[in-house]
Amino acid sequence: MELLWKYITLEDPNVRYVALAIILLGGISGAVGSFNFLRKKTLVGETVAHSMLPGVLIAFMLSGVKNPFVLITGAAISGWLSIQLVDYITNQSKIKGDSALAIVLSSFFGLGIVLLTVIQGKYTGEQSGLDHYIFGNAAAMSPLDSQTFAAVSIAVGLVVVLFYHSIKAVVFNPDFAASIGINTKRIDSLISFITILSISVGIKAVGIVMMSALLIIPPTAARFWTQRLTVMLVISGVFGALAGWLGAFVSYSQSSMPTGPWTIVIISLIAFFSMLFAPKRGVIFQRWSKLQLKRRINEENLLKSAVQCEIKGLGKLFNHQSINKRQKFEQRLWRRTISRLRRKKYIRKVHTGFTLTAEGRAYGAEIDRRHKIWEIYLQRRMQMNVHLVHDEAETMEHFLTPEIEAEILGELGLCSRFNPILEIHEIVPES
Amino acid sequence: MDAFWIIITGFLVASSTGMLGNLLLLRRMSMMGDALSHAVLPGIVIAYLISGSRASVPLFLGAIIMGVLTTFLIHFFSARGKMQGDAAMGTVFTFLFAVGVILVTKYAGEADIDADCVLHGEIAFVPLQTSAFLGLGVPGPVWTLLALLLGIQVIFWSGYKGWLITSFNQEYAKSIGIRTALWHYSLMAATSVATVVSFESVGAILVIAFLVVPAATAFLLTDNLKWMTVLILVQGFLSSLLGYFISEWVEGSISGSMAVASFIQFVIAFIWHKKRGPKSPL
Repeated sequence: MELLWKYITLEDPNVRYVALAIILLGGISGAVGSFNFLRKKTLVGETVAHSMLPGVLIAFMLSGVKNPFVLITGAAISGWLSIQLVDYITNQSKIKGDSALAIVLSSFFGLGIVLLTVIQGKYTGEQSGLDHYIFGNAAAMSPLDSQTFAAVSIAVGLVVVLFYHSIKAVVFNPDFAASIGINTKRIDSLISFITILSISVGIKAVGIVMMSALLIIPPTAARFWTQRLTVMLVISGVFGALAGWLGAFVSYSQSSMPTGPWTIVIISLIAFFSMLFAPKRGVIFQRWSKLQLKRRINEENLLKSAVQCEIKGLGKLFNHQSINKRQKFEQRLWRRTISRLRRKKYIRKVHTGFTLTAEGRAYGAEIDRRHKIWEIYLQRRMQMNVHLVHDEAETMEHFLTPEIEAEILGELGLCSRFNPILEIHEIVPES
Repeated sequence: MDAFWIIITGFLVASSTGMLGNLLLLRRMSMMGDALSHAVLPGIVIAYLISGSRASVPLFLGAIIMGVLTTFLIHFFSARGKMQGDAAMGTVFTFLFAVGVILVTKYAGEADIDADCVLHGEIAFVPLQTSAFLGLGVPGPVWTLLALLLGIQVIFWSGYKGWLITSFNQEYAKSIGIRTALWHYSLMAATSVATVVSFESVGAILVIAFLVVPAATAFLLTDNLKWMTVLILVQGFLSSLLGYFISEWVEGSISGSMAVASFIQFVIAFIWHKKRGPKSPL
């Protein structure tokens, strides 16, 4: 607990920079990743991150020093080249995006491995630490790093704010964006630019895979919570920053633990949690609403059948057998549906069977009415055969809202209180 | 003689992964090699912790099980969890890799294991792994890869029609009653096995390259699946030959050089494809 407090207050100067830096990095990449996620180019970060290795090494070979600015410039240039190459391959041939990404990734990284072995053969000693550009080294982060990340986050923020509307249009519908006069090429380059910027500064801190994970996972998690781009950017950034903060804490409290991987594990857990529990788009909610729908359809079918029995003059009493003649119910389904309907007071138990209450009768009659209205509509407007309309109406009766119903009746020229309890063949089709 | 075995090893890996890469390319799953190469790490570490040895069989099994599990998770997240396909892949493999790295760090003190030992196999060591099998002086990995190639050829050609239909048109295949999920998982299992077996002898990066680059090169040159497989074999052979000489010349990694050689051929095919002009505006 004391440790946590010390961590939160950033008393320890050692942890201060690491924590600040990784929080900033998580925030930036969460926001930047959202754009790539929505363009369905989620894995572009993976390719760019791998493709930076040869750039770093060539920069080192040319300059002979390990100045981070020189190396990062090299990384950015080869990252930029890789994006251009992926786009060029997909635009100019029948090769699809995923293959282009894999081709560029493996070729650039392969070249990087060759260069790395060449350098190891030629230089002795000076080159150590270059592999931080593959595996990352969060512990070695300095005040300079957190300042760099802060500067980058300001730059990214500025780009997003200034070009928000164009970016939004391009991300969701490039053709539409082009048609309203947005220079989509420029916006694409802009998105690539902020992607490369964040990867090139982050890669030394957390390594290739962790960097691409920071671009992939926060938007994936955020997508479950919202439909709006602004909200998604914020949630994604917050998730990234939160994971960075917690990851740095794990590494702080247990000295041997690496920051990057823990950040990824935490953000993944957030993503899994979102996938399961997010309202509306989460798995559990979707399962639940599907179940509710199934239940409602069964209840409505049962009530409708009972009403039809009454109309046919088969008496007000019904049981499993009499309903089964109109609508099949398995034993278990029957028991469950009946007990739910009793709880909702749509039916009552009478010694040998069940009978509809007033509410139940009204509800069932309403479903029956919708069924008939849809049948008439299909016959008159779609010119469908009398024998075919029943099955269609069996589904639609559960989904017709009062608004649609009113519209249909209006279109058919029928009174809004029209009640087709007459049999279907008595209605004469138009013309 | 060493050069011979190295080139043969490269060729064997290229031909078995290339056949699968063919299908992955058509199914738009080329990044699978990259995903698997990262995701199997925890499987290897856990297998090591359980078996307590660096013998390759348990590590192998661990990696293969993890590979199949990975493909299952990716499919599950995108189908059931409604995650965007590429995002599901990205989330699963980076998560598993992170778990693997944490396990390695946690047990690094008491165990002699690191990601390098399995993922970054080095093809240069292949000739050193002599095998007494049949007494021909053929290195062990070559036997393994030969068996792998044989298995993949059998799987590929015996299911040729099924692969063709399910790769070109999933929806159609589904509509005529083909169990596409079964084919999907068979391909994924085969890919997991092939990648893991190949990692050990040539390293991850060359496997990722050979899974996609030869297939993409062949795809640019022909539309016929049978011709594609032939071209993939040629591409793979030239890659290992050329790659070996590049590495001799620059005194660098052989696997990396082979990946670069493969890419050079892709570029040549690409230029040829462009010159000939695209057949359709798309």
